[in-house]
Amino acid sequence: MRKNNTDIELLSAYLDGELSPAEKKYIEEKIKSSLELQKELADLKKLKELTSASVDRISESPFFETRLFANLNVESKSKINLKKWIPISSLTIVTLALMAVLKFNPNLLDNIIKEQESNLVGFYKENLQPLLYAANLTNEDIFNFAVYQELPLDNTNNQILKLGYDTKGAEYFEIKKADEVKEPDNLQKFVAALDFDDEEIKQIDSIIGSYSNQISTLVLVNDQNSMAINPNIWNTRKLILADILAFAEKHASSNFNKMIPTQVMQFDDRSVTNWVNEAKAMKDNQYIFCTSDSIFKEDFVFDITEFEKDMEKMTENLAEVSEQKAVLREYRFKVDSSSSRKKRNADWTQQFQVFVDTNLIKVSVQSIAIDIPEIDLPNFDSIAIVIHEATQNVRTVRPPAPPMTVGNKGYNYEYNTVTPRKKGRTDVNLDSLMQIKNKQNNKNRIEQNEKIKSDSQNNNIQFFYSDSLILMQHQELKNEMDKLRRELQRFRQDFKDPKLENKDVIKDSADDVEIIEI
Amino acid sequence: MDYEQKEKMQQPKILSLDDDFSLIKRFIDGDELVFSELLKRHKEKVRNIIYITLSNTDGVDDIAQEVFITVYRHLKSFRFESQFTTWLYRITINKCKDHLRKKHIRSIFLPLKDEEPVFESINEDTDIKHIVRNAIATLPDKLRIPLVLKDLEGFSYQEIGDTMECEIGTVKSRIFRARAALKKILKPLEKELML
Repeated sequence: MRKNNTDIELLSAYLDGELSPAEKKYIEEKIKSSLELQKELADLKKLKELTSASVDRISESPFFETRLFANLNVESKSKINLKKWIPISSLTIVTLALMAVLKFNPNLLDNIIKEQESNLVGFYKENLQPLLYAANLTNEDIFNFAVYQELPLDNTNNQILKLGYDTKGAEYFEIKKADEVKEPDNLQKFVAALDFDDEEIKQIDSIIGSYSNQISTLVLVNDQNSMAINPNIWNTRKLILADILAFAEKHASSNFNKMIPTQVMQFDDRSVTNWVNEAKAMKDNQYIFCTSDSIFKEDFVFDITEFEKDMEKMTENLAEVSEQKAVLREYRFKVDSSSSRKKRNADWTQQFQVFVDTNLIKVSVQSIAIDIPEIDLPNFDSIAIVIHEATQNVRTVRPPAPPMTVGNKGYNYEYNTVTPRKKGRTDVNLDSLMQIKNKQNNKNRIEQNEKIKSDSQNNNIQFFYSDSLILMQHQELKNEMDKLRRELQRFRQDFKDPKLENKDVIKDSADDVEIIEI
Repeated sequence: MDYEQKEKMQQPKILSLDDDFSLIKRFIDGDELVFSELLKRHKEKVRNIIYITLSNTDGVDDIAQEVFITVYRHLKSFRFESQFTTWLYRITINKCKDHLRKKHIRSIFLPLKDEEPVFESINEDTDIKHIVRNAIATLPDKLRIPLVLKDLEGFSYQEIGDTMECEIGTVKSRIFRARAALKKILKPLEKELML
């Protein structure tokens, strides 16, 4: 079959006159000897005739040339060139126009950008008001700010402004979520520990209060979720702390020196005054604006007097709408991952560096800070814990001591609950309390020793008790000795009257016999 | 290769003025008017090739126009390595293939009733020519085109191979397979066709 097909394929080519002489000779011989191939050749011939005759020649197209040349002319002259050059030429025209405009107005783009920037800056600068009013900062907050370097921005969301030192010792402040909940009433505890009287409490309150205005102008916020921070806040914090400590040292030096080592306080009123003046002399109208989408530095003068006037009006209005609740504030910062790095600016780096992350803004203020020696305060809370533990220990070996009263009220040993007296000053301080307690303990111990001594004397045994544990051990020994003594007495009796005991034994055995018989 | 050498090799003695190569040379030299001469000489052949290849008169002139526009654009880069006709028919066949491909793709998205009639409208296939034309039209392109170029246009196997860019053996095989298929299609009408 395959061979047959090959022959027929050769027949097809033979019919077309496309065989080589050898193939032609071969197939002709085959045709002669094969009727089948002869029939096949005849069929192929007929088929070729039919195919050749099946299609007539197509009629001529009279306008073909005319049409073609018309097309060629259009394409060569305009159509092709224009089509090809339209995008490039239009682009070139636009570029040239732009170049021309920029040639004569080189600052055009800069101006546009600046204009947009100023619009944006203006938007963010609108209605900036001090944080002090916005977040209702109390003296307690300002005290915490001075001591713990944390200023609450938003109590609802627990966001704080935190000041600190980086690894290189450079100062920075950052806006972030508070890590831990602060102990309340730190100022009150501080005042109580120093045992200020009413007049001094008023004074320290007024000192702290006097800084509230200054802080208020350093941290501004508004409803556009933007915040303006003056880098001078670092100095202010140090000043507040120095001022508070200077006052404390002056008015309660004995208590204060117990709390804070003397070498920490290496400054006096005079140096504090100098620092205040130095800080005030610094240019403080440059703010770092932290907004929801950008951070920029901008000059901004906050008129506190005008603001206070407005506040007075607002307070009047607030009285009418006192039911309205305070607007919740949360400072969220949308930050691209690409911009989560230190943004450097030639001008900025001279003064501060800004680090931005999703929940954190960190501004380093290394060169702006004035040189105030750092005060390393002990942690008031940790002191409280130490004292509390000490008092707990005292309580475990508490002797039945007569209650000691100071004035009209009793006292206890817990530092945390020490309350300032309302009138007059007291000589009682923590150490004196401890001394009293120690005296009481000694007294009690002596009493116990005497009692034990008397017991042991009864038994003709003498011990020296120096500790309650030994006392207990001797008590056990005494009990054992009593037992032994009682046994000895029994033995003595047994020796004296042995018959009585034997009778009882016999009687018991007789009872047993009776039971068995039943 | 220098086209003059080629010219000497192929037409060493008698170089008639109406020769394709000489016309092309003049065209390259800037005499664009000779293009009309080339056009006159080949346009009917090209139109017929298109007609038999498409099995349809529709669009023949449009495709022919495209063919000659392409020739006009690229004639100056003609390398004289083959006959002008080989180059011309290759362009023609390629244009036809493009057209058929587009038509095939278009037909996928068209309703059946819009199908174009093959070789004019046929009401009753009593005419033998119509029957054969329809049978040829049903063949696949790669079989039909060599067959019609051979039987209708009288191309040699070599010319068909050059035009369709394939081997002579392939042409021979395809023409044989086209005839075998055609015979099978026309088998029911064997008596009428006197096969």
